[in-house]
Amino acid sequence: MATTTVPRTQADLPPIRHSAWGITARRRLAAYGLITPGVAWLMLFFLIPVLIMAMTSLKSGGVLEGYRFTWAWSNFPTAWAGKGHYFVRSLMYAFLTAAGTMTLAYPATYWIAFYGGRWKSTLLFLLLLPYFVSFMIRTVMWKFILADIGPVLGPLKDWHMLPSGFRILATPFAVVGGLIYNYLPYSALPLYVALERIDPAMIEAAKDLFANRTQAFLRVVLPLSLPGLFAATLLTFVPATGDYVEAEVLGSQNTYMIGNLIQDEFLKRGRYPIASALSIVLMLGMVVLTSIYARFLGTEDEVVAAAVTA
Amino acid sequence: MSEDHEQLEADAIRTAMKSRLTRRGFLRTAGVGVAGGIALPSLLAACGGGGTSGKKVWDPAEIFSGQPGKTLNFANWPLYIDKARDKNGKVYYPSLTKFTDATGIAVNYTIPITDNPDFFAKIQPMLMPGKPTGYDIIVMSNGWEFWCLVQKEWVYPLDTSKRPTFDQNAADWAKDPQFDPGAQHSMAYQWGLTSICVNHDLISAPITKLDDLMDTEKLPSASVGMLKDDMPDFVMRNLGIDTVNSTPADWKEAAAWLMKQRESGVVRGYYSQGYTDEVTAGNLAVSMAWSGDIIYYAIWEGMSNLEMLMLDGGCVRWVDNMMIPAHAANPVGALELMDWYYRPDIATGLQEWVMYMSPVPATQDGFLADAKAAEAKGWKGYASKLYASAKSEYIFPSPEFLDQQVSWMRQLKTDDEKAEWDSIFEPVSR
Repeated sequence: MATTTVPRTQADLPPIRHSAWGITARRRLAAYGLITPGVAWLMLFFLIPVLIMAMTSLKSGGVLEGYRFTWAWSNFPTAWAGKGHYFVRSLMYAFLTAAGTMTLAYPATYWIAFYGGRWKSTLLFLLLLPYFVSFMIRTVMWKFILADIGPVLGPLKDWHMLPSGFRILATPFAVVGGLIYNYLPYSALPLYVALERIDPAMIEAAKDLFANRTQAFLRVVLPLSLPGLFAATLLTFVPATGDYVEAEVLGSQNTYMIGNLIQDEFLKRGRYPIASALSIVLMLGMVVLTSIYARFLGTEDEVVAAAVTA
Repeated sequence: MSEDHEQLEADAIRTAMKSRLTRRGFLRTAGVGVAGGIALPSLLAACGGGGTSGKKVWDPAEIFSGQPGKTLNFANWPLYIDKARDKNGKVYYPSLTKFTDATGIAVNYTIPITDNPDFFAKIQPMLMPGKPTGYDIIVMSNGWEFWCLVQKEWVYPLDTSKRPTFDQNAADWAKDPQFDPGAQHSMAYQWGLTSICVNHDLISAPITKLDDLMDTEKLPSASVGMLKDDMPDFVMRNLGIDTVNSTPADWKEAAAWLMKQRESGVVRGYYSQGYTDEVTAGNLAVSMAWSGDIIYYAIWEGMSNLEMLMLDGGCVRWVDNMMIPAHAANPVGALELMDWYYRPDIATGLQEWVMYMSPVPATQDGFLADAKAAEAKGWKGYASKLYASAKSEYIFPSPEFLDQQVSWMRQLKTDDEKAEWDSIFEPVSR
């Protein structure tokens, strides 16, 4: 065993070289150097476009007259007049998407994480394999599969198990189903990562302390997996609110979402100020909602989380 | 013991981080300043953008002088060109292949256009700052987007002395259409009618008048397709309104009818080109449709359950026009191709395939001649299809038919009119 004296006070330690900046300047430079690419990327592809969008939302004019910056705050009420219900509908669909994907992904990833053994990676890969195919192709294929007299509904109608007027496409069910299907990996992966980190010995320890299987799950596993649930919610809820593809391909005029409205204004009507006003408010709304959610559930203190869920 | 060492290191790091925060604050403001420096010029550009680049006056003689380039980019709608298979089974476009053989200009044919507003919004960000769109010919229907392209000088005015075939073979209306006097900026490609298509497999009740389209007794729920951009004028025509001179009060009447139809629950969706997929998939019993699409499916794809029909109130007409976007790479070649489509043999070949209406009146004789030739070769089925087409009011309408049953659509001319039109009709389809 080594017999070096253990330092007990600051004076025993070798002197820390304090440069004018605190810790050695090289370490600080290295830190800044590492975050520069990320910050530059965010500035160029996030901050500046958002600023441009904010400026566009204050312009007025049209295609023929051209657009001029006129501090047109009226664009905001004009853009949003009568459109609140699309936002509410999008939030509802997004909530169902988050809930649906987590309901499907949690048991699957739980099983893979705790019982997968050496097949964990393979099973996870199989779960994610369909998502190697392009998103648009998969969504359009659902349109084919769920067609009124297509490969699924056709035979069921022929065998009189369904009324002939029954349809799935052009209903909210098709849209939410499509959203759940497309957002499943965004739920499965964070959940898997969170569950995989849990030491199975924790469950054993809980059982040693007289917990039954349900209690062990609810009071040990679930709180420990909360960071994963939080990430999964963010990764599904936020993008699903603004999603427009499923509503356009699988839906009808009654499933029109806020993303469809913004896409319409930007890419079909070319009304950039209105579309920008819609986007800015949507972004701010999502930031507010997410902040509230983060405050409520985003704690890293697992004991607090356990107390919350118990 | 070793914990003390860690504790002291931790203390040192904590103090350093505390001071680091204030310096990070300084750098944060510096970062925003940098961002502002980069952003400001682009923001100014964004401010100044949108039509303030000054109206250029294009000189057709100058644009169309010189030799044509070697390639041409032709953007068109789907199902809108003649197709054939060569010996190896590969699909090719006879009219374009013949053009390449005759002139040596290769044509790169794409079908990015499914919707006028959609495609216009796609090329608008390139045309606004005066950049090329990547296309030499685009095909746009008459209407608001056509008007904008002409007013903003985003399409080249054509050199009218360089289109001899057009001068010789075009119909009189095509030489001076009401939406483009003198055919200065466009040359008609095909024109057609927007009317009603019925799938006899899915519905047996007769559809004869406008109100049948919201009749819940005749129509199953969610079985009707409406065309978003054509429906206002179509409904106005069927309500007896003069579409060309309609006023916002008329528009509101049409919108009220459309909202009633939406509330009745029979409408499955409001489409543009995508309606053809729904019709062929059997999702729509009745749909507003473009004449040529349905006739094409009925005659060439053997879908005899689909029928194009007219309501008592009539229907509306439109013209798809070839135009050359500003800053096109090969305007001389583009004008040559546009003129090429006015040759009677090429126009006949095209129309036989797309089944729309041609701006070249000689195609009717062309159909009959081809039908006779097919009969002589023993191709009875093909010949009978051509005879049927030559007689169809939907392919060769008589002037009386056009006068009495068909209207042009309302031309919107200012941003305010367009904003009012949109505010009245958009809530229907959302």
